[in-house]
Amino acid sequence: MTAAPERTQGEEGAVALEMLVVDDSPVTRKMVRRAIGLCGLEIGNVYEAGDGAEALSRLAEHKVDMVLADINMPVMNGMELVERMSADAVLSRIPVIIVATPMSEQRIERLLDIGARAYLAKPFRPEALKDLVLEILGKGESHG
Amino acid sequence: MADATPELLTDILGTVFQETAFMFVEPAEEPVEWGPKVFTATLAFESVQGGTLRLTTAVPVGVELAANMLGCDASDPEAEENGRAAISEVLNVIGGAFVTRFFGTKVPSQLGLPQALLASQPAAGKRTAGAVVRAENGDPILLELDLE
Repeated sequence: MTAAPERTQGEEGAVALEMLVVDDSPVTRKMVRRAIGLCGLEIGNVYEAGDGAEALSRLAEHKVDMVLADINMPVMNGMELVERMSADAVLSRIPVIIVATPMSEQRIERLLDIGARAYLAKPFRPEALKDLVLEILGKGESHG
Repeated sequence: MADATPELLTDILGTVFQETAFMFVEPAEEPVEWGPKVFTATLAFESVQGGTLRLTTAVPVGVELAANMLGCDASDPEAEENGRAAISEVLNVIGGAFVTRFFGTKVPSQLGLPQALLASQPAAGKRTAGAVVRAENGDPILLELDLE
């Protein structure tokens, strides 16, 4: 699968982050979009998908820098989405943050093993999302 | 494993409503008088034991939840349109909080997909425990647990 090139320029000419939010709940998708907006990051397009299969379609249409995905979804869940992305040469380069309800340690470990970059438990504060995004982009503050 | 007590359910309700939608709730007693319509949502789970969680709220609670989650006013049509979806998502978060607190994080747990609807009365069903809280405007919120 090849992601289509499509970029948004930020206000100062910098490339803005393009994101894909994957969740079967329309309220949660809007809430995550809102949290992304409050993060203080330069954000370009934020695409949405209601399940993993829709997410793969969006990824074929648009180039994104990061995917925020729920786990518990109909049609194709977040676990399978991560597996499919990890198996693809292009999509495996896109970091996936799992934004889902609290789950067992075993399940979190499994998600990280198959390619997810991080896990953020719902409900979350926008600052927590921002810290995670910056950390993944290699722009996080050093705490040590 | 924790005890399936009304106190546990009350605590989870209070935490999730506050953290998800900045809504503060107070413990209350049954029986509850409902308005002409309620939102009722169910969520099945599997872990050491299987079971179902059932959340019932007055309609204005669902609308306020949606408004707070979406960052709009409760009078906004978007809040009204998303009341059912907001209840569904809140039950999803309650489910995650419940299975990890009740069964712990060391054992695998699996949530089903929440199903929510607008009904004329709360869904009847057997239950192991139940808890009632009230939103700041006095509207009731009922969480019921049925362990198999």
